[in-house]
Amino acid sequence: MRVKLGALLAVATTVVLGAPPVAAQQPVILKVAITQQIDSLNPFLAVFQSSTEVGRLMYDYLTAYAADDQAVTEGLARSWESSADKLTWTFTVPEGKKWSDGQPITAHDVAFTYNLMLTDEAARTANGSFVTNFASVTAPDDRTVVIRTKTPQVTMLALDVPIVPRHVWEHVGSVKDHANDRMPVVGSGPFVLTEHVAGQHIKLKANKTYWRGAPKVDELHFVYFQNSDAAVQALGKGEVDLVNRMAPAQFDSLAGKDGVTRNKAQGRRFTELLINPGAQTRTGEPIGDGHPALRDVRVRRAVAQAIDLDALVQRVNLGYAEKGAGLVPPVFTQWHWKPDEAQQRRFDPAAANAALDAAGYPRRADGTRFPLRLIGRAGRAYDEQASEYLKRSMGDIGIPLDVRLVSDNQLNEATTAATYDLAFSGWATNVDPDFVLSLHTCAQRPGADGKGGTTDAYFCDETYDRLYARQLSEFDQGERVRIVHQMQARFHDQVPAVVLAYDNALEAYRSDRFARFTTQPAQGGVIMAQNGVWGYYGAEPLQRAAPAPGSRWPAFAIGAAVLVALVVTALVLARRRRATAGERE
Amino acid sequence: MRRFLAHRTGTAGAVVLAVAALVALVAPLLIPAEALDVTRVTAPAWQPPGARQWLGTDHTGRSVALLMAQGAGTSLFVGLTAAVLAVGIGTLVGIVSGHFGGLLSGALLRVTDFFLVLPALVLAIALSTVLPRGLGTIVLAIGLTSWPSTARVVRAQTLTIEARPFVERARALGGGHGHVIGRHVLPSVVPLVLVNATLAVASAIVAESTLAFLGLGDPTRISWGAMLHQAQLHGAVPRAAWWFLLPPGLAIVVVVLAFTLVGRALEAVVTPKR
Repeated sequence: MRVKLGALLAVATTVVLGAPPVAAQQPVILKVAITQQIDSLNPFLAVFQSSTEVGRLMYDYLTAYAADDQAVTEGLARSWESSADKLTWTFTVPEGKKWSDGQPITAHDVAFTYNLMLTDEAARTANGSFVTNFASVTAPDDRTVVIRTKTPQVTMLALDVPIVPRHVWEHVGSVKDHANDRMPVVGSGPFVLTEHVAGQHIKLKANKTYWRGAPKVDELHFVYFQNSDAAVQALGKGEVDLVNRMAPAQFDSLAGKDGVTRNKAQGRRFTELLINPGAQTRTGEPIGDGHPALRDVRVRRAVAQAIDLDALVQRVNLGYAEKGAGLVPPVFTQWHWKPDEAQQRRFDPAAANAALDAAGYPRRADGTRFPLRLIGRAGRAYDEQASEYLKRSMGDIGIPLDVRLVSDNQLNEATTAATYDLAFSGWATNVDPDFVLSLHTCAQRPGADGKGGTTDAYFCDETYDRLYARQLSEFDQGERVRIVHQMQARFHDQVPAVVLAYDNALEAYRSDRFARFTTQPAQGGVIMAQNGVWGYYGAEPLQRAAPAPGSRWPAFAIGAAVLVALVVTALVLARRRRATAGERE
Repeated sequence: MRRFLAHRTGTAGAVVLAVAALVALVAPLLIPAEALDVTRVTAPAWQPPGARQWLGTDHTGRSVALLMAQGAGTSLFVGLTAAVLAVGIGTLVGIVSGHFGGLLSGALLRVTDFFLVLPALVLAIALSTVLPRGLGTIVLAIGLTSWPSTARVVRAQTLTIEARPFVERARALGGGHGHVIGRHVLPSVVPLVLVNATLAVASAIVAESTLAFLGLGDPTRISWGAMLHQAQLHGAVPRAAWWFLLPPGLAIVVVVLAFTLVGRALEAVVTPKR
């Protein structure tokens, strides 16, 4: 009995004494709060922003976008050239880059990935649009990838496709059912996925052999939060180091907080108000029940003119946005279009009233012209508040607005089936404007059965479509920029949607633990949700000083608690022993 | 009446309700429309309570005190109409199943049981998601989910009444169903129904606040629950803007308490002493 008690105490003492050294060797961990779930870890299937972000950390693309100006830079391929007819592209994958398991990265990996997408429908789920125009992809040697396209394609240096290791993926039977969760997952990016617990956390370890050099942090953890309020609270308490996608009010609440630095960045997103321009299917059949008056472009212009965009930015976005105009946000400096004096649509309710009178919609006896419905998402702060402003703006030009805030699904249904007059929407744009521009071409409207196509606003305009086709095969950068500007001007003029604001990306991080993060672009850029992973890769921890006073306390406290627990257990055991012994006698 | 006044807590509850009702009726007439129009207010947002703004301002600069007064109407209206609807359905089902018995009674009881075991909040959420947004939907969702307990109570009372000799006498003298229900059952059930209704209003107000807080209410109308929803949505919690969170919450508690107190007092008055 005595011996046992003594042993227990000895164990307890070693636990207490042994604790502090363990604490001192802790790796540098960057903890990031996320609220969006992961849909898949398989890079061919993942479409959620959160999943593609993790995918970018795990797998490099053929090319990358530089941190400071988003220009195309070295990815897996270091150099590239195209033939005179722009149909054949040759990429060179240099020697010395390695997968995280030590195998060299070769041109065969690249060719394998693209060919998998060309041959397997499931592998085209997430990024299929990049390869639809590919004729063939070959790797004549370990260093060279040759891609032949059917028609000239301007986005050849913006192929956002994660390249996977052939020696791992050639053993994958069915891409559709492959969860890609054999930890650690072999990859080429700056971090290696080591753990994923759905709905709780994702853990990645630094890839020490990363070809750009090892990241400055040892581990990267993504921690799930139910809502961003909770994430912001956790940042305030120091439980996480980095939070993004904050609401303006949350961002304001962190002002002046010790140890927290806020980052107000130009975002890639814009918020818009769709105006149903008389939706039709691809074959010209009318679809939905948009108000007929909105088919008249003069009415749409009047509606747009009656909206006070400055007031919305100031009072609804609380100033954390820029006034909207074209489809490309100002963060993409060269593609962004600014209306000139003549194109500018100034807030002017009087002119809007006059325009509606002239268009043949005079005010009736009760002072109204015709009613419109506005549909938005319930529970989205912007929609709930902006709808109040729009109600007032439309009321001022004699249009009573019936505001209906509905669930996400109902909103999607209404915008897809074109059963709206006005609706809130928004998109994120890429470095290359092709995608966001393509949303407004006639071909993106749904087929006769109402399915297919991803039209944003049921816009169909001959001039716009002609310009779209021209920019797609225009290899002279300056000329392409000019066409893209023209397209945005046309869109702005025809108003199938009013771009209300370019939202700022609001982020904050613990500056008492991290000195700086690499933003993209360098000036006013974002840390998370970049076109790349520079933010995480470039995270610089503060110099690891001697453990701050107090940091030993938790270790001691745990040790003491263990000691107390063991002593109590020992005493209880001893007493029970004695008790049973007594009973035996 | 005098017996009711003898219950001090009940009287206190009644006074609170009278004040709330007065505010709800008078507020819409006195508050200018601009004061609650987010596009017209001039005060800065998130102002703590002070001399000019008794209860501070919300995320758009509207006075929380005015919102409270305006919201009283919606909360009380929904509470009352939903309770009337629920008690109405409950009374009808209860009397019919108690009086007629047999197959009809069995069927009605099974329906009652079905609604009784179904979690009311979940059903209300489902209903308010499917139906178009609006005050009517909320009333319907609450009313349709909270009638079963009334039905059970009323049925029990109907059965005891119908077992009494005077009902038998009335039947023997040739009284039909309508006569028995209208002349004998209903009058003796009404006090019970009244008590039930008072208590139902309390739970309906809580239900309305819950739905509105979850963002399922009528987004264009101000109610106390909707205020809590907005406070939560627009970041009153991280801002520690207690003046936007506490008043609606306390108002709900006080009014619900008042209804409960009145209900209990009425119950004591109506139920004969044993």
